[in-house]
Amino acid sequence: MQIRFEKKLEPSRKMLFATPILVVVLTMILGAIVFSILGYDGLGAVREIFLTPLTNSLKWQDLAVKAAPLIIIGVGLSIGYRANVWNIGAEGQYIAGGLAATGMALLTHNMSGWYLLPLMGVAGMLGGMAWVFLPALLRTKLKVNEILTSLMLTYVAIQLLNYLIFGPWKSPTAFGQPQTVLFNDWQILPYIIKGTIVQAGAPIAVLIAIMAWIIMSKSVFGFQVRTVGSAPNAARYGGFSENKTIWLVLLISGGLAGLAGMLEVAGPFNRMVPQFPTSYGFTAIIVAFLGRLHPIGVLIAGVVLAITFVGGEIAQTTIGLPNAAVGLFQAMMLFLLLAGDVLVRYNIKIVRARRA
Amino acid sequence: MNNEQSLRLELEGIVKAFPGVLANDDISFSIKKGEIHALLGENGAGKSTLVKMIYGIMKPDEGTISWNGKPMNIANPKAARALGIGMVFQHFSLFEAMTVLENIALGMDEKMSKKALEEKVVNIMQKYGLSLDPKRIVSTLGVGERQRIEIVRALLLNPKLLIMDEPTSVLTPQEVAQLFNVLRQLSSDGCSILYISHKLDEIKELCDSATILRGGKVVATCDPKKETAKTMAAMMIGTSLQAINKVKSKEFSDIGFSVNNLSLRGAGDFGVSLKDISFDVYRGEILGIAGVAGNGQNELQLVLSGEILLKDKAKITMNNIEIGKMSAKERRKHGLCAVPEERHGHAAVPEFSLNDNAILTARNRQNMVRAGMINAKSAKQFTTKIIDEFNVMTTGHGASASSLSGGNLQKFIMGREILQVPDVLVVSQPTWGVDAGAASAIHQALIDLAKGGAAIVIISQDLDELLELCDSLAIINEGTLSQKQKVGVMSIEEIGLLMGGVHGENSSVSSSQKEVMAQ
Repeated sequence: MQIRFEKKLEPSRKMLFATPILVVVLTMILGAIVFSILGYDGLGAVREIFLTPLTNSLKWQDLAVKAAPLIIIGVGLSIGYRANVWNIGAEGQYIAGGLAATGMALLTHNMSGWYLLPLMGVAGMLGGMAWVFLPALLRTKLKVNEILTSLMLTYVAIQLLNYLIFGPWKSPTAFGQPQTVLFNDWQILPYIIKGTIVQAGAPIAVLIAIMAWIIMSKSVFGFQVRTVGSAPNAARYGGFSENKTIWLVLLISGGLAGLAGMLEVAGPFNRMVPQFPTSYGFTAIIVAFLGRLHPIGVLIAGVVLAITFVGGEIAQTTIGLPNAAVGLFQAMMLFLLLAGDVLVRYNIKIVRARRA
Repeated sequence: MNNEQSLRLELEGIVKAFPGVLANDDISFSIKKGEIHALLGENGAGKSTLVKMIYGIMKPDEGTISWNGKPMNIANPKAARALGIGMVFQHFSLFEAMTVLENIALGMDEKMSKKALEEKVVNIMQKYGLSLDPKRIVSTLGVGERQRIEIVRALLLNPKLLIMDEPTSVLTPQEVAQLFNVLRQLSSDGCSILYISHKLDEIKELCDSATILRGGKVVATCDPKKETAKTMAAMMIGTSLQAINKVKSKEFSDIGFSVNNLSLRGAGDFGVSLKDISFDVYRGEILGIAGVAGNGQNELQLVLSGEILLKDKAKITMNNIEIGKMSAKERRKHGLCAVPEERHGHAAVPEFSLNDNAILTARNRQNMVRAGMINAKSAKQFTTKIIDEFNVMTTGHGASASSLSGGNLQKFIMGREILQVPDVLVVSQPTWGVDAGAASAIHQALIDLAKGGAAIVIISQDLDELLELCDSLAIINEGTLSQKQKVGVMSIEEIGLLMGGVHGENSSVSSSQKEVMAQ
């Protein structure tokens, strides 16, 4: 017996949209089964992780806080993935952005003024871009695979973070704690809804998703990215440089990850700490795929993944689910999505072996 | 059908359907022992599908295939070979870095010692006058010689039926003549030949009978010697050909496009290097570049269109502007449009809509871009114009390029470039896979474009097309371009010799002798 995959002439558009939803539902069902077998309250786990964050209005602000960086990074990654450029190291760019913004904050700690935050934002984006510079250079000059280089640089970023906050940037007033000083009031993101923890990151994320949507669907740049991703020869024939496109999409995804890092360090953290790497950069890969590499899809997917983060924390306290459970759910989602895509794009035929 | 015993192969009521198309619809015909039988039809008429079923690659949905009078179920190519059915494909499956003999050994169903095999191979070559050195590395061979490997491969099995799929499409006239001698000898030995082609003169010269397919159906079975090329063409195409309206023997004055001492190193081990190519094309002139596939045509197309950039901008000029260092986009802005040979993934993005495929090359010349944003309305207008004026069969401007048939997509691509009214147009294989009616429409559009003052370069392997369409002709061989000459000045034999270049019979013998001497 032999299993054969035959590419469908045109995959059903309905199914392309329906799979992400089916995937989430299937993840819940499988998750319930897996955790029941492991001896937990499986149904309860699914309820706490996927439903409580939505039904409990107190948790909505947490969703907005967690979704913002996922969306910002996810939008950047999805643009790159459209061009077949696989930046896997957004986590490193996120950290580098956070560090650059911190550096700017420390440099301007004695100053005050509205311009400090924009300055830190620019520094964050430049930090993220600096972290994709090497992968972009190696890919365009020597055809070195950007998956490996970008991923490996993540660990360099983590080491740099530790060096800085254990060393030169350590706060003199923190009783030996490895962390920087608190940022000043002009260096901390404003709260946009009074009485909540929702800061400026959330509206910025929505804005970025909408802008990316317009650019990707209506601009020559968006067209260029899609063409390079679908047919590199046709792109060259149409007058688009593949190398320029690789540079641009890497700088955009690195810059957005860096911006997310700045918004985190100037938002929820208020200072740089060792706990800063929260793996948003890795989760955003799932967000980009679950959102079908479409900016608005990414917006929705960012909220879905934020739900699992918030729900995971709830489940830890209510039913004692380990923290790793969230990772399990997220990974299950990605695998089901990739498998689902195969079913949407290919017909599967089982061929019985024939003897000649 | 007078004598059942004398029939080698008989097809009855063969039906094969694919999603959306009926490729073969109730096909019946038979081949006698020792007969050379032509299967004639345009691209997409169902020839390849039919042959794949005879060779066991596909199974018919309905109908029977009888071999020597007995109904057979041919499960796979191995079973077909066991019956005595051999096939020489249009595209060869050879390993470039291996010798002729190693390639033949790899294709054998039964194991055989190298020495025994070599002996057999040499015997067959001598018997049929196929000159070929078994120790040569394939990458050093010309197309005609490569085809001989495939023929030897098929003959080793002692076939009773040999299927030849478009065997002459890549051969020089001299190589064609040699091939025909081999096929005639085979036929006199009792081997039947199913000869697939759309070249009418060849079929008239070679074949004893012909089955003509159109749209998946048999439209006629005839004796090609009693028909004229015109009557067979009419049967094959269905509609009468439109005569091309061309003014002969024009005089030109302004140079529109010129290439000066252009050299380029080929990419990779098997890429062809371009060597010192120079030519001028006048405004209003159509220059044809003929040659056997793989002699530098692709490289030349890419250099001229701007997909490969030169270090010296003066090597290519148009309207006295040096464009050698300009990208394809900049060249288009200056008025140079191009169409590469490969449609899918090069001239068009298969999964994109026709609209997006129009944006791909026409965005600047047709004012589809304002401040970095695409103007959907003007893109749609231009796409609709292409569809209307070039009669593209499609559901509309939003249909994906992959949903179009090959010929229709080619019409769209040619229309997209011609309607941009370029000053210079560089086209590879303008009517490849297009039916005759559409081909003559494309030819007319090219002639009209030239009449309007454009300089046109057509790179094609279809000599008939070039002779019909072009004002002058140059021949490319191993990356070197011959002097340009007026069409009609060169004889067919002369062209054939130039196309053969060092691949021709005499020189290949001498170079293999050199190799033997070196050992």
